Amino acid sequence: MTTKKKISKKDIGKLLGIWSQWFSVLVPSKEENVAKMVGWDGKDVSFLVWYRNTVVPPKANFLPPVEKMFSFQQNRHGYHVEVPQDEQKRLIFGIRPCDARGITMIDKVFVETYEDCYYLSKRKNTVLIGLSCTNPYDSCFCTSLGVKPTESADVDLMFTDIGDEFLIEEVTDKGKELLASAGMVKEATKADDAKAKTVQATVSGMVIRKVDTKDIARKLQACFSDRDYWEKVAAKCISCGVCTFLCPTCFCFDICDELVKKQGARYRGWDSCSFRLYTKMPMENPREEKWRRVRQKVCHKYQFYPMNFDVAACTGCGRCIRLCPVNWDVTQILSSLPASVTSRGDK
Amino acid sequence: MERKSEWEPAIAGFLCKWCSYAGADLAGTSRKKYPANVRVLKVPCSGRVDPLLILKALRLGFDGVLISGCHPGDCHYQAGNYRARRRIALTKKLLEYIGIPEERVQASWVSASEGAKFAQVAADVAKDIEKIGPNKLFAEEGR
Amino acid sequence: MEQELRKEARKLLEEGKVDHIIGFAPGSLKFSTTPLITKEKEEVASLVINRFMVNNLAKFLTEIPGRVGIVAKGCDGRSIVSLIQDNQVVRENVVIIGVPCSGLIDIAKVEKLVGKDRDEIDDIALQGEKVTVTVDGKRKDFPAKEVFFEHCLGCEFSTPQEHDTLIGERVAAVGHEELNRKRIKELKDMAPKQRWAFWKEQFTRCIRCYACRQVCPACFCERCFVEESQPQWVSPVPKWQDNLVFQVIRNIHVAGRCTDCGECERVCPQNIPLRSLSKEMSDLVDEMFHYKAGTDKNAPSLMTAYEHAEAEDLFR
Repeated sequence: MTTKKKISKKDIGKLLGIWSQWFSVLVPSKEENVAKMVGWDGKDVSFLVWYRNTVVPPKANFLPPVEKMFSFQQNRHGYHVEVPQDEQKRLIFGIRPCDARGITMIDKVFVETYEDCYYLSKRKNTVLIGLSCTNPYDSCFCTSLGVKPTESADVDLMFTDIGDEFLIEEVTDKGKELLASAGMVKEATKADDAKAKTVQATVSGMVIRKVDTKDIARKLQACFSDRDYWEKVAAKCISCGVCTFLCPTCFCFDICDELVKKQGARYRGWDSCSFRLYTKMPMENPREEKWRRVRQKVCHKYQFYPMNFDVAACTGCGRCIRLCPVNWDVTQILSSLPASVTSRGDK
Repeated sequence: MERKSEWEPAIAGFLCKWCSYAGADLAGTSRKKYPANVRVLKVPCSGRVDPLLILKALRLGFDGVLISGCHPGDCHYQAGNYRARRRIALTKKLLEYIGIPEERVQASWVSASEGAKFAQVAADVAKDIEKIGPNKLFAEEGR
Repeated sequence: MEQELRKEARKLLEEGKVDHIIGFAPGSLKFSTTPLITKEKEEVASLVINRFMVNNLAKFLTEIPGRVGIVAKGCDGRSIVSLIQDNQVVRENVVIIGVPCSGLIDIAKVEKLVGKDRDEIDDIALQGEKVTVTVDGKRKDFPAKEVFFEHCLGCEFSTPQEHDTLIGERVAAVGHEELNRKRIKELKDMAPKQRWAFWKEQFTRCIRCYACRQVCPACFCERCFVEESQPQWVSPVPKWQDNLVFQVIRNIHVAGRCTDCGECERVCPQNIPLRSLSKEMSDLVDEMFHYKAGTDKNAPSLMTAYEHAEAEDLFR
């Protein structure tokens, strides 16, 4: 059961200030005109005016682009290994529903299937404060993937813009606790609730890009062997890592050890199935050709992940479309999957 | 050699096998005294020196890099040193542009018979690098 | 002009002179184009020529087999020549359809000027030296030089010199030397320590997506130095030191082959000013060796050529 509260937009700074006592607060900010989540400076809330979404999704706060797994030092008795402990309590203010859903998706692999200690310690020490969308991009297509731009299922508190105020939905107990000491948070009225529902309906209607996701897994299975089709689909892709790195649900990583004399460290960093050498092994590279990698990316997201977890590995955030160097558009691909298989079969 | 200070420059020296390495060897057999700052790395030709080697040396913490090869016209492989010349020139200037003093990367032509010249080059380069100071550019862990 | 281009492309396919056509088609986002790579003559009907055709199509020449008809602006035209000089492309296998270009509009600059994102802008229209941007029905004018890409503002080769056909008339570029090197000049006015701090800060934001490398036609190595593990030259994970080494070395490796198309800087998702490195490199190449990339297909490439006496002042 969720109960509704509200807060005046003017008091957001004060609220963040209260939370700053117990958490390291992250808010949207711009660096070199690139929107990202950064530590709040204590006063600037101008993001409430310009913020649409970040370039790098908040998954980077749980699975960073580079992370030290442990450092080691050789000594008389063998090796001394030190694992960095990250118990910092953080609060991310302003996470969008698509990105929050992305975190829930990644949880399926990093928490439910296997307990990744680095991810877990960040996950349990972080509170997610969602901010409903008011101005979706033309590249957004969340509604086609079962995510509303006002979806509150994946956050602890959800803020919805109802004019001069935010309606606050308490989604989890963690979220409820956060409001306990905030005096400026009031009870919402029925009228406020109704206003929020109107806003939610309006914003959902603003998501104009749509993909018919019915039967996508089956359609992909049907054309899997159609090499000619996939070569055409892959033709303009340049095999960089932008789409995968900026995807809220992508989580592939690489590990490397660095050693100088008798000490070193093991690092984990982002990897991408789009890179040519992603699948390189000593004797062969199963995805040497670009069309295989492009096929893999589409099928992993819309066929294999649903097979394993009953949900597509995509939340329709649209970053892959917005930031692709060649404007390769997955919604165009999904909307034009061939109805039948053609002759040349290949695995 | 008198130790002047705590820190002594560490210089990565890429010496071409046919001329400069032999020249350095001659400096040794001729008992020429010169500072021990240059760590010698033998390469088949100065043309083998990819700017990547220079940057990697600086990245690892070397205070300076010396590339030494045959005189123009005398390269064992005809034109390797000409290629090196273009590469080193561009590398020095680009490094200066990003904030690495170009004097950290030095180059010389030393032939197999120029033992004395090599000793002088090693001493001069060490002095130059000492003046610039230790290379802490890549030291800090940003992440 | 678009009709002429589509006719020419269709003719090339119909007459069997080429197997593929590579050109620009409208993108799925406003004010964008996307590369069109096709064997089908019907599809060339979507070829466009506009002020947003940013992609450097020469990139695809090293992977599309057979004979190719390729649309080329001035900068990508030089990239094609550069690839011919490097023996990556056979001149006889390419039909270069030259499209004179007097400059492209940088949507990021427009967004900054009007304070709105691309999808919130109604229209962008260029008329002579003036650009009219319409937002919510309201029009605002800006001088063209404020919205063109920096690399377009100093373009010396607006019409591809090497071509088989030319669509339209030769044009002069929107020359503006000062604006072309604005950021580089700002950096050169800083002290070395400040410059290092600047680049260190920039590369702390790099996530090693390799968009810059992948979009560059000059980066055609089968195995890039970052992919070597025996020995490992740069860390595969994005530590700032290795990000910096990667980008600096990439620039030196493409020296003499970079035609300042500006794609590396445009595609960077972290807005790192990569062109401030690549433009300085091509300036150094011109200054020291009097060489401009891709201007003569019969000339040896920069790093394979040499004069008997040059740069001697840098050697002991």
